[in-house]
Amino acid sequence: METLVQSASYLFDLGVIIAALAGVTWGIMGGALPGISPSITMALLLPFTYTMEPMSAIVLLASTYIGAEYGGSVPAILIRTPGTNAAAATVIDGYEMNRQGKAGLALGISLYSGVLGSLFGLAMLILLSGPLSRVALAFTPPAYFALGVLGLSVIATLSGENLVKGFIAAILGLMVATIGTDPVTGGTRFTFGSSELLSGIEPVMIMVGLFAMSELLVQAGGRGEAERVTSRPRINFPDLKLARRLAFPQSIGGVIGTFEGVMPGAGGTIASFMSYNEARRWSRRPEEFGKGSPEGIAAPETANNTVAETALVPLLSFGIPGSNSTAILLGGFLIHGIVPGPMLFQRSGEIVHGLYAGLFTATFGMLVMGMLLLPACIWLVNRPRPYLNAFIFALILSGIYSIHNSVFDLGIMMAAGAVGFFMRMLRFPFLPTVLGLVLGYLVESSFRRSLVLSGDDLMIFVDDRISLALLMLAFLFIAGSLGKRIYDLARRRRVEAFSEGSEARE
Amino acid sequence: MRKQRILAAGSAVFMCGMIAGAHAQDYPVDTVTLITHSSPGGGSDVFLRELSRYLGPILGANVVVENVRGGSGAAAMANLAQSAPDGSKFYATTPTFIYTSLLSDPEYKYTDLEPLVNFFIDPEVIYTSANSEYQTLEDVIDHAREGRGQWGAANPASLERQALEQLKAAAGVNAAVVTHEGGGDLLINVLNGTLQIGVGEVQEIQSQLEAGELRLLATFSDERLEAFPDLPTVEELGYDVVVRKFRGLAGPKDLPVDVIAAWERAVQEVLADEEYKAAYEAANLRAAYMPHEEYVQFIEDFGNETRDFLKETGVIE
Repeated sequence: METLVQSASYLFDLGVIIAALAGVTWGIMGGALPGISPSITMALLLPFTYTMEPMSAIVLLASTYIGAEYGGSVPAILIRTPGTNAAAATVIDGYEMNRQGKAGLALGISLYSGVLGSLFGLAMLILLSGPLSRVALAFTPPAYFALGVLGLSVIATLSGENLVKGFIAAILGLMVATIGTDPVTGGTRFTFGSSELLSGIEPVMIMVGLFAMSELLVQAGGRGEAERVTSRPRINFPDLKLARRLAFPQSIGGVIGTFEGVMPGAGGTIASFMSYNEARRWSRRPEEFGKGSPEGIAAPETANNTVAETALVPLLSFGIPGSNSTAILLGGFLIHGIVPGPMLFQRSGEIVHGLYAGLFTATFGMLVMGMLLLPACIWLVNRPRPYLNAFIFALILSGIYSIHNSVFDLGIMMAAGAVGFFMRMLRFPFLPTVLGLVLGYLVESSFRRSLVLSGDDLMIFVDDRISLALLMLAFLFIAGSLGKRIYDLARRRRVEAFSEGSEARE
Repeated sequence: MRKQRILAAGSAVFMCGMIAGAHAQDYPVDTVTLITHSSPGGGSDVFLRELSRYLGPILGANVVVENVRGGSGAAAMANLAQSAPDGSKFYATTPTFIYTSLLSDPEYKYTDLEPLVNFFIDPEVIYTSANSEYQTLEDVIDHAREGRGQWGAANPASLERQALEQLKAAAGVNAAVVTHEGGGDLLINVLNGTLQIGVGEVQEIQSQLEAGELRLLATFSDERLEAFPDLPTVEELGYDVVVRKFRGLAGPKDLPVDVIAAWERAVQEVLADEEYKAAYEAANLRAAYMPHEEYVQFIEDFGNETRDFLKETGVIE
């Protein structure tokens, strides 16, 4: 309660307000550019914060993070390109709604869910920082392994009509995740002597290639100007009836996002995929998922914005950054001589209170800036196809190039695009690939680390209670999805055709 | 071909440098770029940005910091090895550049660069959770001797892991050295009791130390730390292991003599600067100035030791 009162006093601090609004605006723009990840958006700002007041600097960086996590959903909906890793789940139903001429509503839902998720996460951050940080501490390497397996179990339901194709797609992602440095020995793997591959392949390059590049190739392969439904350049927020329907998927997103955010290394991508999957499992209209379901946007967008707030829990409580973005925020703290960790609240309490107030302001800034910027974005994608596609191509090339200033990365993205093109032709789903890519390293490194700890005794995964519980949950999920498939087959019904639209379109 | 060109360019610049040096005390170039492979806000980046504020006026040149990321330093090494040795570009060296050179065999390695001078040594300490039963390093070693010990290092290819492997060998015990993806993961596993000890720099665990959540057991430095006079060194405790995590600069090969001299003078001066001293001591950095000649030898020895370690542990052939 005291924290709330003290934070509230900074709500009217001009420095905090300006930093929050500037940060969130910059963040939305950075997040919306494919390839420019939240961490790069923040890194670009970092040098400017050196000379700023510590509080403004921290608020600026944290607001940028919030804005960027939201901004990623804009290109996901409009041009089928996730602007951030965590927005990959939003592509599925978001782009589908856009194709149906409902881009305004899709963007409205994502903005509305993002704001709610952000507020929920902020409330969790302020009120439950202590208990949540204990959750993070309870996660040992075997528990992280089990968490990764739980994430991968989603593949069983996201594979579309053909489970075997889903597994092949997932293994493709897992294979790419092994490239780079061995997590236990430090030796190099599958780098073929290339120093560019030493730190592995960034998932964003593969995602942009799979989603955006393949879409450009498919459109380039079509004849003439395809019929397309354009959306009116305005933002529609859901009406009361729809808002009620979205409340449940949003709650799922908020809860999953809270837990994933708190755990260093888990992150927004797992949170949004798991929320998407759970929202679909518990939905009254699961058949709409993959065909432009508003719930399919609401759940992951709530989740990844919640993560952006609760990811600050391990940073503030332990000084441990759970992701690249929070690592840059940590840099922002350190440059001003503030050391996050157990002593932060006592020593620099005012910074924390200012940060809370700034995040609150930034969330409303997000709403306002979203309403101002989004109609322009819709107008932009309504331009004639050839110009739009050339623009998108330039956008993704420059975005990917800016990650490491490397032409090599462009090659990786385009290769992924070519693979994605053939995957679409052969009706392979993309989502398992993305999940394998994002989770492969976490699963592998935690598994091997656990075995080093236990001296190669597999019982460590059973002895650790959290690990045991998560593994059993994963088993239930997989058994449930498989059971449903078999049941559907037995009833000679076509399995619910579900995919993210990876099949070739007529 | 390329090498010849660099040599030619090098000697030309060398002569120009000599002439300029003979005329004035000024540094031969206006702007000095310090390159780091770490991302903005990372360890080396913060070190360089802090340094650049104080170094500029003393050196007589603008000092700017540039982040050349990619390949854990491979990109930065390639960038530097191909630039002119005119004193306008240097690379912030940490043990990473030696590990990257040895592990991934990039086109340009640490042996293609010329170490300039050293600034600091970051002390590496052994720590345990304040709730643990281990009061001394001996307790931890005894535990490892009885059953299996679990010790943690931040990264697989790191000096910290090397230190623990050496300690393990010196003590003749069987402990699992568990590697992580950075200091944060490691810290959590020490705090929750998964590991008995972790190894890291003091600055990484400063906040937990102040809050009394961690207990220091020993330091890997060659002598006791000023900030913790009661903390024994590992060597004192009877294990012949000393670890020196250096922070210095390296340039392209064939640096001109006057550039080296200017840096040797400037670095001693900047390390003695009262204001800067307060800043780096607060960050738990220990000034450990090494002049050019000594540093070249130091890096060579360090590289050889590391190569032997990596071969012994079977990481490289």
